[in-house]
Amino acid sequence: MRRREIGSSQRDVGTMTVSIEGLRVGYGRRVVLDDLDMELTVGVHGLLGPNGAGKTTLMRVLATVARPDRGRVRLLGHDIADQAALRRVRRQLGYLPQTFGYYPRFTVREFVEYFAWLKEMPRTRVPLAVERALDRVGLLDRADERMKHLSGGMLRRAGIAQAIVNDPRVILLDEPTAGLDPEQRVDFRELLRELGVDACVLVSTHLVEDIGTACGRVSLVEGGRLVFTGTPEELAGTGVDGGSGDSAIERGYTAVLRSARAARQ
Amino acid sequence: MLGVGGWLLAVHPADWGGRWAGLAGYLRTSLMVLCALMVAAGAWQAGRERRRGMAELLGSTARPGWQPLVVAWLAVSLAGTAGLLAAFLGAAVLVGRVATYAGGGWWWTLAVGVLALYPAAAFGVLIGRLVPLRVVAPIAGLGTYLGLAILTYWDTSGVSWLSPVHPGSGPEWLPPAGTHALQAGWLLALTGTLLALAARLRRAALLLGILAVAVAVPIATGAGDDGLRTDPGAVEPTCTTEGPPVCVARINGFLLDDLAPLIQPVLHRVAGIPGAPTRAADAVLQGDGEPGGPADDTLWLHLGDQPTATGEGLANLGWLHADLRQIVTANCHQRLARPDERVWRTFDVAQAWLFEERPALDARVGQLYTLSLDEQRAWFAAFLDATHRCDVPRLIELGELR
Repeated sequence: MRRREIGSSQRDVGTMTVSIEGLRVGYGRRVVLDDLDMELTVGVHGLLGPNGAGKTTLMRVLATVARPDRGRVRLLGHDIADQAALRRVRRQLGYLPQTFGYYPRFTVREFVEYFAWLKEMPRTRVPLAVERALDRVGLLDRADERMKHLSGGMLRRAGIAQAIVNDPRVILLDEPTAGLDPEQRVDFRELLRELGVDACVLVSTHLVEDIGTACGRVSLVEGGRLVFTGTPEELAGTGVDGGSGDSAIERGYTAVLRSARAARQ
Repeated sequence: MLGVGGWLLAVHPADWGGRWAGLAGYLRTSLMVLCALMVAAGAWQAGRERRRGMAELLGSTARPGWQPLVVAWLAVSLAGTAGLLAAFLGAAVLVGRVATYAGGGWWWTLAVGVLALYPAAAFGVLIGRLVPLRVVAPIAGLGTYLGLAILTYWDTSGVSWLSPVHPGSGPEWLPPAGTHALQAGWLLALTGTLLALAARLRRAALLLGILAVAVAVPIATGAGDDGLRTDPGAVEPTCTTEGPPVCVARINGFLLDDLAPLIQPVLHRVAGIPGAPTRAADAVLQGDGEPGGPADDTLWLHLGDQPTATGEGLANLGWLHADLRQIVTANCHQRLARPDERVWRTFDVAQAWLFEERPALDARVGQLYTLSLDEQRAWFAAFLDATHRCDVPRLIELGELR
């Protein structure tokens, strides 16, 4: 399963929000992503895979933080190797890394404002955009609290707020629900669905139930390669009765992984 | 900066009290410490993103890396400037109450001094970016302090004027015309170069570096401290209008009201005695070409350390008495090949008579006071004659009071 078009009836590569061809990324001699192809359009896409499969590396490449060794990555129609276009692309990018730093003395509002500035939002739009982003993640009532006083879940939500403050067309969220309580996760899934209406949202997670309820499409990465792309229902359909997992989608996930490992051996 | 600036002002009030040029000059001297602080602050600020693990987030944003860097540098620089100005504004209020001379272009000295905080912060930012260690901030600060100290104390050539500490000494001195403009240009070009290096803008760094060198060359090849000249406005004499004349430079004019009541009684006591001074004057009024020793008719007063923070009263009465004792010793004690205790006892008797001290410890002082006033003055005239010639046998003889 080398190349798949995802999510839209429009299959022309030129209109894809994210287009990856033959991506290879390694750290030293270790190859993390190898000859990976992927295309994403508007909607919420789940990215699944075991630890070390290359999910975070893929997110970092799409966030333009890590450079590919080989292959071509196009975001919003621009090749990210093109330095002149990179700045335009980044203005329309939202990224929440798995772990992210913050200035502890900043208030939540200042933190999100700072990223609005870094994303080169027009100055006049910033105050309203910050209010909206904080409202969407449920932190408006904590806007003037210092970051150092926030709980882990609140910090995560502040991180999501900075990622969406510029109304990005590409949103990359690496483990966004880590640290959120069940109620917050339900709210977050609702937010994901909202964001996915007019943006391409890629969510990397280990929580398979998040994928099942919030994502229109799901991709599974194993050993640096894309081994499945389809709807959550299609993933669930690959599972077998009596296989590993508590739910149909977990059984499908396990079945695809085992099949991919067997094929590799 | 506010705390350290305030502390620096508090420990050496005599260097700036009552004199605008003194305050501006002291700010330049203080830069040895304040620039070091700015370097440390800049280095700490530049390492903040790394310490907080923000590189991942920042790396995906659109704004070019030099812009957040400049904002961070500007924040440190402006905070430092605010702290420095707040401290020196308090001192300026005290100076403004009593200052008697506002000329000499001291504000340029002050402005260029404040400007020096900006390259210092930029240097810190560069170091903080280059060296990924927490200890780099204090080490860079200490290194800056030592570097500026070496430039300040070990070198008086033009090269030393590349340091923002210069020209800061002597409120009555003026640097050559254009010095402040050149230094401002040098500091600005240096700031740009350091920031461009920190932001890895190689071409901009090269261009600004060339500009910085071009401005630095005339400073470094200049005369340095030898190029300082006296500010004629600062050294205009201001004198008492009643009693024996006591004159000070206009820049020290605020000291005159406190000085005259201490000096005039002494001048009055020796009035008419051959060889005794008839006037007292600020040593600053001696001018460049005149000898520094005591003249026959003038008692030179060294007032550099006399101002207090409020400009009221004198800070070092002991040093003023040392100046007055010049009437008695006339540098003879320095000319003696071998110290002779008997000569010193004669000096003590003469000094006690001059200051009208009570004869508590030395019976010979009491013996002198038993003479008529005319005889006392004749004894003092003979003493002055001997001390000016440094005639040791005669001084010993006079000390015996027979």
